[in-house]
Amino acid sequence: MSTQPLNPSLPSISVIVPVCGRRSELRSLYTQYKAGVDAVGLPFEFIFVIDGDRTDALQTLESMLHEGEDLTVISLTRSFGEAAALMAGFERASGSVILTLPAYYQIEAQDIPKLVAALGSSDMAIGYRSPRYGNMLDRMRRSAYHGLVNFVTGSRLQDIGCGARAMRRQVFEEMDLYGDQHRFMAILAARLGFRVSEVAMRQSPQDRLHRVYRPKEYAHYVLDLFSIFFLTRFTKRPLRFFGMLGAATFGLGAAVIAFLSVQRLFFDEKLADRPALLLGALLVVLGMQVFALGLLGELIIFTHARGMKDYRVQEVIQYPETVTSSVEVTDVEPAEGRNNEIRHTAPPAMTA
Amino acid sequence: MTGAKVTTTLSDTAAAVAADPTPRPRLSVIVPLYNEQESIRPLYAAIVQALGDIGCTFEMVFVDDGSRDDTAEIARQIARFDSRLRLVKFRRNYGQTPAMAAGIEHARGEILVTMDGDLQNDPADIKLLLEQIEAGYDIVVGWRHNRQDKLVTRKIPSRIANVLIGKVTGVPIRDNGCSLKAFRADLIKSIPLYSEMHRFIPAMASIAGPRVAQIRVRHHARRYGQSKYGLSRIYKVLLDLMVIKTVTTFASRPLRWFALLSVPLFLCAFVMLAHTFVSLVTDRSALSLPLAGTGIIFLASATILLCSGALAELIYSRGDIRDNEFFRLTQTIQRHPSDKRKAPTEPVTTITS
Repeated sequence: MSTQPLNPSLPSISVIVPVCGRRSELRSLYTQYKAGVDAVGLPFEFIFVIDGDRTDALQTLESMLHEGEDLTVISLTRSFGEAAALMAGFERASGSVILTLPAYYQIEAQDIPKLVAALGSSDMAIGYRSPRYGNMLDRMRRSAYHGLVNFVTGSRLQDIGCGARAMRRQVFEEMDLYGDQHRFMAILAARLGFRVSEVAMRQSPQDRLHRVYRPKEYAHYVLDLFSIFFLTRFTKRPLRFFGMLGAATFGLGAAVIAFLSVQRLFFDEKLADRPALLLGALLVVLGMQVFALGLLGELIIFTHARGMKDYRVQEVIQYPETVTSSVEVTDVEPAEGRNNEIRHTAPPAMTA
Repeated sequence: MTGAKVTTTLSDTAAAVAADPTPRPRLSVIVPLYNEQESIRPLYAAIVQALGDIGCTFEMVFVDDGSRDDTAEIARQIARFDSRLRLVKFRRNYGQTPAMAAGIEHARGEILVTMDGDLQNDPADIKLLLEQIEAGYDIVVGWRHNRQDKLVTRKIPSRIANVLIGKVTGVPIRDNGCSLKAFRADLIKSIPLYSEMHRFIPAMASIAGPRVAQIRVRHHARRYGQSKYGLSRIYKVLLDLMVIKTVTTFASRPLRWFALLSVPLFLCAFVMLAHTFVSLVTDRSALSLPLAGTGIIFLASATILLCSGALAELIYSRGDIRDNEFFRLTQTIQRHPSDKRKAPTEPVTTITS
């Protein structure tokens, strides 16, 4: 490996490894990854981002640096999360291809060339573990979760938890990740209009251990699902969502109150004795509040509309003027259709 | 502070224009295209033919909205022959409003004309729109005479929507769905366009107080491809309409608007709680728990609404877009020398010719 910095205009690979909570022994992991990336045959660099105070990982990496290994280590002041770690790593990355790899044994490093090769026909490639180990319950849980995510986002992904992703530099440049969004990188990239492909990778034997999911993790998954749901569906038009919800609640409450009023007027049941009045009032008021929230959202969008663009332009194509005459375009009346023959006519003001 | 913002954006565009070697054209024709591979050549030919003797420089901005057919390739071929064609290519399909917004952003002309890419508008009508802009109007919209579309799924909903939009927004335009419109570039470039607002551009632009004219244009039956609309957009139109209404009328004083919303709640709460209090003092047996509870709910809700209003005020004060900015904009527009007519008293002038 060369010690010169990589040139992004030439094919080269920047490997970013975010070192977060779950991690394996980094020295042997690095040796495996290095062999895998080396097999691609392009110049490469390794960037380790240590997310917060992980003393053991930092010590290992420092001793590796002392041994003369060529790698970049970025240590974040505190734990910012995996997405932030990836962004910090990308700031230092100078390869034309960005490869993110998990800091623990998840996939077999020999499959890395396959992942990078998939970029030939797409802008981003994400691995999925296949064959995947796990018992019946694990599999059901996984397919249920992915089914939900795919239903909500309209994507077709099999393994959003896989940390092995390869992408062109441009994909990362246009992405703005925060929180736990690294998991949804493929979905966000597809939303930006990039072509995303999935590549089967063998699962590492060390990843086979049975994991016990605590309620906290389930809660995290559900919250992730919520956040991606809002991010993909309603960030541009909050009133569509809040408005529908608010109007439905308001309508229900209004119906309850109308029913009570009819009873009061025609059947002489005293309004004040009906606890259902409370329910009706509560629903009406709740509907108004939800609607008001939607309007607040719209106000945020409106006041910031200039800064955020709904669309991404891939390219603007305009060919320079090929006619070298000094006659202005105004005075040229082009022929029908393809005007490779250009006739010069007098300006209309003179003919009139 | 907002004034400073305006000048920076203006100088930005000025710098961009200055950096461009070719002179700024007078007119830009913006056409969003989505899967229109058959239409694009005849469309190009029609535009060029219609504008051949128009007497000013023009450019065409074709926006390829992530078409899955050969639209982009054909447009690129045309661009190779004609340097007046600028092709803006999206990476994926985003929809008509983003396509329009991108076209407006990349157009360099002083007058922008938008039209459909499906040959249902007639480019020969551009000249009529242009005349009205020259006569001093800021926005000229076409209305489709003798519209060539299905009656039940297209025309009737559209007519209802137009009446509704006119009533709600106060910009009574006969045909909001007609894409053939002309704008002064400075005006339209400063109007935020997002979501699916292309239908409401005149209403949205009304925050700047422009002079709007409408004019009859021709409409042809669809020759190629198929319509990209259905009936499903009705509820979206209704909600968008509500957004436009709030944003254009109340955006600059959100607290007042939320306070207005909370007044009836406060009144209800007051009446109910007063009744409770009186019965508490005079006759304990007449005390009604549901009534007291409802009063408390109303009171709480009104308070939260007021707080939302304060939040809205905060958002507005921290935002990039202010009313007074648009006010400045209209001022500069009205200083244009081509003002021959008096400013119309009606919001929209219908021109029959």
